[in-house]
Amino acid sequence: MNDLTTLSLEFFAPLGLFAQAGGGGSNSAIITFAIYIVLVMVLAGLSHRLLQSKSFMSEYFLGSRSLGVWAFALTFAATSSSGGSFIGFPSLVYTHGWVVALWIGSYMVVPIFTMGLLGKRINQVARKTGAITIPDVLRDRFDSPGFGGLATVLIVFFMTFNLIAQFKGGSNILQTLLADVPLFHAAKVFTSDTLAGVPFFGAADAGYFLCLLVFTAAVVVYTAYGGFRAVVWTDVLQGVVMVAGVLIMLPMAIYLVGGMEKATKEIARMTPPRAVSLLIETDEPLASPLVLAKNSWLVSGGEGENRRVFRLAAEARIKSGETTAQVKTDEAAKQHIPAIEITFAKHIASARPTTFTSGGKVVSVHQQVVPEEQKKKTGYDGDGQAGVYMKGPGIDKSSADGFLPLGLAISFFFMWNFSGAGQPSNMVRLMAFKDSNTLRRAIFTVAIYYTLIYFPLVVIFMCAKVLLPGWETDSDRIMPEMAKALTLAMNMPWLAGLLVAAPFAAVMSTMDSFLLMISSALVRDVYQRNINPDAPEKTIKRLTYVVTVVVGLTAMLAAVSPPQFLQDIIVFTGSGLSTSFLAPVSLALYWPRFNRQGAIAGMLSGFLTHMLLYTVGFFESGELEPLQLFGFHPFMVGALASAVVSVVVALTTSPPPEHLVRKFFYRD
Amino acid sequence: MTSPGETPHDNSVDDRPPELDPIFVHARREAVVILMVFFVCLTWSVGFYVVDGLQPPGAAAQSTPTVWGLPRWVFWGLLCPWLAVDVFTFWFCFYYMKNDDLDGGSSPNTEGEPGHE
Repeated sequence: MNDLTTLSLEFFAPLGLFAQAGGGGSNSAIITFAIYIVLVMVLAGLSHRLLQSKSFMSEYFLGSRSLGVWAFALTFAATSSSGGSFIGFPSLVYTHGWVVALWIGSYMVVPIFTMGLLGKRINQVARKTGAITIPDVLRDRFDSPGFGGLATVLIVFFMTFNLIAQFKGGSNILQTLLADVPLFHAAKVFTSDTLAGVPFFGAADAGYFLCLLVFTAAVVVYTAYGGFRAVVWTDVLQGVVMVAGVLIMLPMAIYLVGGMEKATKEIARMTPPRAVSLLIETDEPLASPLVLAKNSWLVSGGEGENRRVFRLAAEARIKSGETTAQVKTDEAAKQHIPAIEITFAKHIASARPTTFTSGGKVVSVHQQVVPEEQKKKTGYDGDGQAGVYMKGPGIDKSSADGFLPLGLAISFFFMWNFSGAGQPSNMVRLMAFKDSNTLRRAIFTVAIYYTLIYFPLVVIFMCAKVLLPGWETDSDRIMPEMAKALTLAMNMPWLAGLLVAAPFAAVMSTMDSFLLMISSALVRDVYQRNINPDAPEKTIKRLTYVVTVVVGLTAMLAAVSPPQFLQDIIVFTGSGLSTSFLAPVSLALYWPRFNRQGAIAGMLSGFLTHMLLYTVGFFESGELEPLQLFGFHPFMVGALASAVVSVVVALTTSPPPEHLVRKFFYRD
Repeated sequence: MTSPGETPHDNSVDDRPPELDPIFVHARREAVVILMVFFVCLTWSVGFYVVDGLQPPGAAAQSTPTVWGLPRWVFWGLLCPWLAVDVFTFWFCFYYMKNDDLDGGSSPNTEGEPGHE
């Protein structure tokens, strides 16, 4: 084992420290990935055929309420495992260490909680009323079109934000996958030339834009064409791909680090990198421009104690005839290039600099750290201390309390469960299973599924800290980079396609569901139930296809200028939806005395509290950071406010009509 | 006002004495058990974190004992309860949760099946 480990680590040194992003074998990866996309399209075609023989609305948006165990379990699990699970979450593990295991720890109860708490009742109520969407259920439960309308508006608002973030995630993954493919580079140049000077699109990164187009085309086509059934079937495929990806990566990662004991001991000695700004220059003016790619390694000071290792956190350029590198920012070009300085001795000793070429010649650059202006220290950076990746609260650049202080640990334990139960996209799936026996089996299936996904992901990306150091510069890319690195190390580059398809599948399975939810909200809840209840099926059908495509394209346009903070946006929208929906829906299902006034007040108070905390936090930090009242996440505060207001308003207003109580709480 | 245990008296709707929907009653009882499990897990995992896994920012570095290559607080505070919850979920789904007929009342064909009293 020791010999093998030594070999592995020697092999990995070049991957982690000396090379850029990944290595060869991308053609094989692309072929595997292309096969996966073809399979998805075939499934969409099959479900479209099934659509012809059933009632359009119920089949297109709810799969005719007939999902069996595997379809129901995997569509539920895959929809919940969004891009966040395979992009943002690995990034968090990599950046903050073992403490992220607790951040996600409440997933141990998520399956039984999110499916068992409301599942049986919401399915029964939806069957009683023939409801197809969540606004449908709420409207019928309280006999209130206004309340249904409010629910529709909130769903469209939050899900549109989330959809844009998911588009960004999918495009980033595709970009990483295609990084080494010559055809992609040629297409990038062509796109860049074509878009140059075009308003709005001209400023977009050509590679990102290209991937965004491909990604949008794939998801919108199969979702619009096949509807809910296609989404469910592709979710099943995607769910299998995700768990297979994780289960293949886990033993590879543990093997290559030489066992968990060894990896954890090395992590215990690691010290966090330091954020710095560099001034980078060449000795002489350059004849042709030089690009210093993001994630390039710079080394100074030879081999001794004076050796210093840096990694660029942004792309920098030196123009022809000039000697100083500049980085493009929103305002102007800057000469201070953001970078990290490696502080862990083992990584410093083994690092090799990136070779830069300009006009076919190797160019040597030298750099110096720019003394930062004295700024107030806002975050907990670990102070160069070893052991910060082993325990909580974990380093956090924006919070002096660290990544997971006690209040937030409690908040997230609540949040994944209560927030998951309050997600309309999950609730819709709970309306679609066939019978309660299916629900029982599916809960257990999802419990095992999550056990096989989430804890192993923590282990894999703790191993990534050992195998691929320095990705703090671009930690959202750690999952695809790890997939490529592992398969290359094991000499199985074809497998990279499957592994990279896992996060892609996660993004797609969430996006398709959200796309369909927005589409159903607009077609069913707005058009059919409020504008034209007697619309013929042909019109509904046509409108559904058009709306699904238009929503997809609109989200794509919004994602052209990519939003930052993928994980933050996902948390913002997820917690926003659940603070608005959880209390009203739960009380609607379990409390006969709950009335329309209480439901509307509860939904609005949850939404407004959540927005208020995020707005205050945004003005304070300039980022999508909410105000954490008493150290708790806005979800906790918002959900509590929603529940209290729901109950108080319901008790202080007139009881609900007797026929509604009888209909939903008493035997027929 | 009508609470779950009470009977609404509205002769205009139906004359027979109303009976609470058994699916509602089952679902509510199952929801209570689920909430209890959640709070047990929260107490155990976060409690273990506080006792063994939390080190205030800036405090002197402490060694972290490991079990099977995982930090001790992760092993006992997260991995073990995670596996225990999987076992509980199996029992809950197949031996506690009722197999109700969601289109009507309780299914008459559930005798002998797990979860049926």
